[in-house]
Amino acid sequence: MRGVTKYVSFSKASLQIMLVYKSSLAVNMIGTVFYVIAMFYLWQTIFVNQPGAMGGFTWPEMKGYILVSFLLNSVMTWYDEWTMGRDIREGLVAVDLARPIDFQAKRFADAIGPIPIELFSALVVAAVVAVAFGGVALPADGTHAILFILSAVLATITKFGLVYCVSMVAFWTTGMTGISVARMAIQNIFSGALIPLVFFPGWLRSIAAVLPFQGLVSTPALTYLGKMDWPTTVLMLTVQAAWAAGLILLGRLAWRGASRAVTINGG
Amino acid sequence: MADRLRPVRRGIYLYFRLLGQQMKSILAYQADFVVLLFSAVVVQLAGFLFIWTIFQRIPSINGWTFWQVVTMYALIFITEGVGSLFFEGTWMLGWLVWSGQFDQMLVRPVSPIIQVIAYRVGFNGLGNIVTGFTLIGLGIANSSVQWSAGRVLMLVVLVASAATIRVALNLGTAASGFWIRNPWSMVPMFVHQLGELAKYPITIYSLGVQALIVVAIPFAFVSFFPTAFIFGLDAWSLPALLTPFVAVYCLFVAVSIFRRGMRNYESSGH
Repeated sequence: MRGVTKYVSFSKASLQIMLVYKSSLAVNMIGTVFYVIAMFYLWQTIFVNQPGAMGGFTWPEMKGYILVSFLLNSVMTWYDEWTMGRDIREGLVAVDLARPIDFQAKRFADAIGPIPIELFSALVVAAVVAVAFGGVALPADGTHAILFILSAVLATITKFGLVYCVSMVAFWTTGMTGISVARMAIQNIFSGALIPLVFFPGWLRSIAAVLPFQGLVSTPALTYLGKMDWPTTVLMLTVQAAWAAGLILLGRLAWRGASRAVTINGG
Repeated sequence: MADRLRPVRRGIYLYFRLLGQQMKSILAYQADFVVLLFSAVVVQLAGFLFIWTIFQRIPSINGWTFWQVVTMYALIFITEGVGSLFFEGTWMLGWLVWSGQFDQMLVRPVSPIIQVIAYRVGFNGLGNIVTGFTLIGLGIANSSVQWSAGRVLMLVVLVASAATIRVALNLGTAASGFWIRNPWSMVPMFVHQLGELAKYPITIYSLGVQALIVVAIPFAFVSFFPTAFIFGLDAWSLPALLTPFVAVYCLFVAVSIFRRGMRNYESSGH
């Protein structure tokens, strides 16, 4: 139990650090709010003009999809490649290496610390938007609601695993802002955050199917809406869990390799 | 006449000298430079792919075709690119004021505005500009508009005006840093992100949102109206002719706010 306590204090510290930079959190939030508003109007127009073009989604379902996607993307925004890049570049990782802790677990504790605040602010925004646009689809039923929460947790772990792996690039370049931006752009397309994956033509859908990104938005959002039959739901959740575990493992291997090669500033 | 233009020429010369120094410091890290360019291109491709996917299902959004919407997107990206490449320093204004670094700029015999805008370079802007112009070129190639010398000239004026509007919006809102004593004021980001709304035809929005992006914060003149003119959409082409005036107006307001803010500046530690 004592093993967990020390990581909990890392999470708390991380939350406190974020609270100092409240305006940064607000900036992150603003960045997506206008995007969500634009999406609502865009899909509303499409729905009014061509209801048949909605890929099997009803308008309330599409609204639900956009908001669930917004919520999932609002979580763990605080943790990105830049922080890890800075720590590696400036040699701060040396402090963590010297401590009797697991490096990846410490980073995970840092990453999940701010989630309560991120989730709360995102829920407030989502509720306001939902009311303004006349309500959204609720979870299909109780079972789907519970599975959605499970899937959302897996999505968060996957996101951590992904960012952690990409962060390892910091051993070779200092341009982490660009890496972070590129990762987010690719993620937005293949996770289904911009548009549900069923809208894609076949070839693009097959690319999305073999990548880990669909676990970030598509799988939890479709589970929420109950858009997949039971065998598919079980399969997709299993795939999602496998990617979450796989990325965490890959991150560990990459770190082990890279940390042996690390030379901290000043030898 | 020549005498009166001298300060302007000097200002422009110094601006490029200051910016050049920033460029050198970034080009020293070649891998970072490539990564930044690449990231800007990936972001645009993602946006393009999104629109393309939607238009696989529908022929038009309120009568606006695929290439017209792509052109609107491209205009947002080009103007954003111009902002990053040549005026990235405006984002640092809040920090400069908050930390008292702005003192430096006041004691030098160069306009503080020039020093602020040349304080940073965002090379990702280059990626935005190149991809943006490629997309506009494709848009025009896929339109049935007859091109004349006058129309080409107007296109140049419109793109320049659109970029001016965005730079003015950035500068004017960044000047909020003179009053809001916070290194990263939210005001510029808030207005910058309104650009998301300008990526789609304004006819999809409610009247309130339309008023916001046409009158209050004239983002519609960055993408919507210029695109209407480029594609010869008569219903919306006429307001497009106002674009240069809107640009001059925005620039005037931005510089006024900046000057006022400067009078309000009292360095740090008070």
